[in-house]
Amino acid sequence: MRAEVVREVEQFLYREARLLDERRFREWLELLTDDVRYWMPGRSTRYPKVSKALGILDPDRYREEELTREDELAILDETKETLGRRIARLETGMAWAEDPPSRTRHLLSNIEVAPGDVASELKVFANFLVYRSRAETEQDFYVGARQDVLRSVDGAWKIARRTIILDQTVLLAKNVSIFF
Amino acid sequence: MGIDVTNLVDTEQGLISRRIFIEPEIYAQELEQIFARCWLFLCHESQIPQPGDFFSTSMGEDPVLVVRDSQGQVHALLNVCRHRGNRLCRADQGNAATFTCAYHGWTYGNDGQLVGVPYLREAYFGELAQERWGLLPVAQLDSYKGLLFATFDPEAPPLLEYLGAVTWYLDAFFDRCEGGIEVVGGMHKWVVPCNWKFPAENFAGDGYHVSWSHVSAIRTGFSSNFRLQPTSGGTLLSPGNGHAIVTIDPTDVADPPVPEIVAYEEAIRPQVAQRLGPRYSLVNPIVGTVFPNFSFLRATARTFRVWHPRGPDKIELWSWIYVDKAAPPEVKEAMRLAGVRGFSPSGTFEQDDMDNWQECTRTCRGVVARRLALNTQMGLGHERYNKDLQAWASDYRFSESNHRQFYRRWAQLMRAGSWAEVASAAGVRRG
Repeated sequence: MRAEVVREVEQFLYREARLLDERRFREWLELLTDDVRYWMPGRSTRYPKVSKALGILDPDRYREEELTREDELAILDETKETLGRRIARLETGMAWAEDPPSRTRHLLSNIEVAPGDVASELKVFANFLVYRSRAETEQDFYVGARQDVLRSVDGAWKIARRTIILDQTVLLAKNVSIFF
Repeated sequence: MGIDVTNLVDTEQGLISRRIFIEPEIYAQELEQIFARCWLFLCHESQIPQPGDFFSTSMGEDPVLVVRDSQGQVHALLNVCRHRGNRLCRADQGNAATFTCAYHGWTYGNDGQLVGVPYLREAYFGELAQERWGLLPVAQLDSYKGLLFATFDPEAPPLLEYLGAVTWYLDAFFDRCEGGIEVVGGMHKWVVPCNWKFPAENFAGDGYHVSWSHVSAIRTGFSSNFRLQPTSGGTLLSPGNGHAIVTIDPTDVADPPVPEIVAYEEAIRPQVAQRLGPRYSLVNPIVGTVFPNFSFLRATARTFRVWHPRGPDKIELWSWIYVDKAAPPEVKEAMRLAGVRGFSPSGTFEQDDMDNWQECTRTCRGVVARRLALNTQMGLGHERYNKDLQAWASDYRFSESNHRQFYRRWAQLMRAGSWAEVASAAGVRRG
């Protein structure tokens, strides 16, 4: 991937992160395509098949992958429309989990840019650490990986798909009331 | 002799001491007299359909392995190696013929029998009584309409007696269509810094908070809006033994305003009414708690969950989304999404609850705040036993009548030395 494309993608993602940290959610929403799928799968602890902790009875049905599948439970599984309604909820003045609001810091690293499935798209991999501070002493760390599909729309990048993979199986934060 | 809770719960006056939400000694007594005594929910049978399938959970703070053995029989076993007490299985789910402890390699069959001990002949001289050192099974294990429950107390009444009159209400959630329900794959698990009784009482009977806590989600289209009308019908029901159900008027709809779900519910209504019988024309059950910590919901989303206690001021919230087994695929998909968007860590309803329960718990740390009883007086004296509904019923749809019954049961169990004493205190005959 050409260095200037990588640079452009990085700058796009950093600006996107800044919009979230500054709670400019309406502007952030405009960075998503109308057909976006915004998905944070669930996760569970499994022994791999080679583990000697188990003698597997039925290898055909044994499932070692930790992440939930697309048709299973997720922590977030959103469209642009439902994200828009989540933002509208925050604007009611009665979304108590965000009132007082969270203070977030989205830190991105390990950004890799790869060709997409079609010429107008890119696949972008990144790691994230999102720090959330709220009220006086509340703090949470949401750490994981993101896989995005960016699409060029009228000469600007937009997010056409975002998969957010958290590392925790039992979420240590009391809720997920922020965006990633 | 434990702490006498007589003065901490006054259901006649509607006063609940805040000590019961924060004091470690009271929590320790709850683990003994409630969680090691009551029937607790484990999982749904559809989660372990085949031989070898297992699911890890806990009963109180004790880790428990629910496993279908190679012959197809379900066991619930303390997930603790009998040798040095190590936690045996650390996976959430899977399929196994045997489980081997990571410490010294003791191996147990999927029926709990100790089947392998390294150096048995050399180090134990073949003298270990292997048959006596299997995994500890629960005292009783049973299921109701696919819901698996267990108790560690051999003296506990049978499950059906423990559930009592709540069974019809459970049917309205879990058996309203042929084939009952199935669970959507995967679960939500998260830690919430609150006492376990705040969520349990909330699902037991807090219709009141919906019209304030959750207005933001209702106004932005995540659920229907009948709850905001003061004239809406409904009643809170206590069918006995501390179990509690929230109902709405049979003509009101509490489903997510998603076209597939609304059309489906309308279409199956006659057959649900026929299956559940005449009581379904009187009330529409939408939320409830089976004492102590199993709750369920079919408004906004279809979920059931366990509030696992993790200390006086912490729970692990384990939550499932369920669907009618007979529902068409597009309805199941719509229910899955309604669950993710309404009742999950990110749920537009649920996330606000976490925050309130946390602060209700945290303020109990203050010695002055702790002196102030919680006001549980809503609708005091405006409740009566309704024969048709087989339950104590509140006169208005907002009341704390269910809270009072929940805490009455809590106090009975916390005072009683045994199940026999609970039965006599409750004035019900057993056997």
